Amino acid sequence: MGKNDHEAIRAVLAGEKDAYGALVVRHSQSLFRVAFRITGNESDAEDVVQEAFLRGYRKLDSFESRSNFGTWIYRIAVRCALDRIGGRRLDDFSRVADETDPEQEQVQVADEAAGPDRLLLSGEIGAMQEAALRSLTPTERTAFMLRHMEDCTGEEIGEVLGIPPNAAKQAVFRAVKKLRSRLAPLRVMR
Amino acid sequence: MTHLSEEELIEQYYSKGADGLGEHLKDCAECAEAYAGLQSDLDEIEFAPLPEREGDYGEKIWQSIASSLPTYEARRRSWLGAGLWRTLSYAAACAVLVIGVFNAGRLWEHKQQGSTTASIPPKTQAPVAAPPPQRIVVVVLSDHLDRSERFLVELKHADADSEEMVSPLRDEARSLQAANRICREDAKKNDDPALTKALDRLDGVLAELANQPGGLNAAALARLQDEMKSDSLLFEVRVLRSRIPDRQRTASNRSEGDAI
Repeated sequence: MGKNDHEAIRAVLAGEKDAYGALVVRHSQSLFRVAFRITGNESDAEDVVQEAFLRGYRKLDSFESRSNFGTWIYRIAVRCALDRIGGRRLDDFSRVADETDPEQEQVQVADEAAGPDRLLLSGEIGAMQEAALRSLTPTERTAFMLRHMEDCTGEEIGEVLGIPPNAAKQAVFRAVKKLRSRLAPLRVMR
Repeated sequence: MTHLSEEELIEQYYSKGADGLGEHLKDCAECAEAYAGLQSDLDEIEFAPLPEREGDYGEKIWQSIASSLPTYEARRRSWLGAGLWRTLSYAAACAVLVIGVFNAGRLWEHKQQGSTTASIPPKTQAPVAAPPPQRIVVVVLSDHLDRSERFLVELKHADADSEEMVSPLRDEARSLQAANRICREDAKKNDDPALTKALDRLDGVLAELANQPGGLNAAALARLQDEMKSDSLLFEVRVLRSRIPDRQRTASNRSEGDAI
């Protein structure tokens, strides 16, 4: 795959614009998956995928042949997704924070959610989990998603997020702790 | 027993036992219970189901962006082309300059050789090797006049009563005699009466100093010093010495075709 990617990149840089189409087709699904995980929105995810490929095309001449194009464009997509959710982070996440935390841009509000019994009965456990995930910072959410869903290592997460591997691991640890704290009420229903 | 931290348990969960903490979990009921709770919590966490994408999703994405992408070749020409052509232009200009200077040097050298050869009649080409000896003689003459000047200065200020000064003067006079004869003969050949006359008088002084019967005594030295003052030999030598550069140039110009 890597060899084919590099051949396509050389062709694009030589003037064959259509060769980039092969790269787009090959990596669109994985980019959509990560974009959707981060943005949580299908429409946003599609926009992120397009923007990532556009950015990738513009930067293609700076792409190092030793690198893996898949990882490279994946990283761009994560950046695009984080940029996209950055603007609406307060709106979406402040309502579900446990406590006021200016550093995390979170505020404490009254919990309007129903109790565990009702949640269980109404089948809203998934919504609660989603709310818990959204209570994370974008970095924590992305790091956790990459670790939990994509099975990425700390080094890979750090590379994608542009942070040291140890910081990536710490982001995963914080995310897990927060999620467990948020989802503690569900334990009594197991 | 030290229990595992929550971070270690999380690492254990995601590394699937690769961290080697499994042994501890077997032995420590408290950690095993904590790990079971963590495992249960994390196993329960599920992201929202991923919306299905059609098989031609990639094609659709490509079609949506293809029209907005510039052709890379054109962009590369605009980005790299300018720099590349500029570099090539500089390189070409440098190459032309180097070649031009090289050819000019060769032409100049060829012209110089041609003019030198043309100015010498074919029949006199054999004796052309003579100019270098003339230059050597000129150099010897200048050296000789330098030495003579120093010698005459020493003689002028010599203490006639000091044997330590008189003896070296005699030796130096004998040494200068041979060179003086050569220079005088060349002066005669070159038809330089002023130089010939001065060297003649110098020869007289040198001979008298070198061959004084019974050695150089105080009276003889005093007499020579008086003669030097009266006929200004030292001054004349200095004047001749100062003329050497002019003579050298003249001799050089004259050497074209002339042999000494």
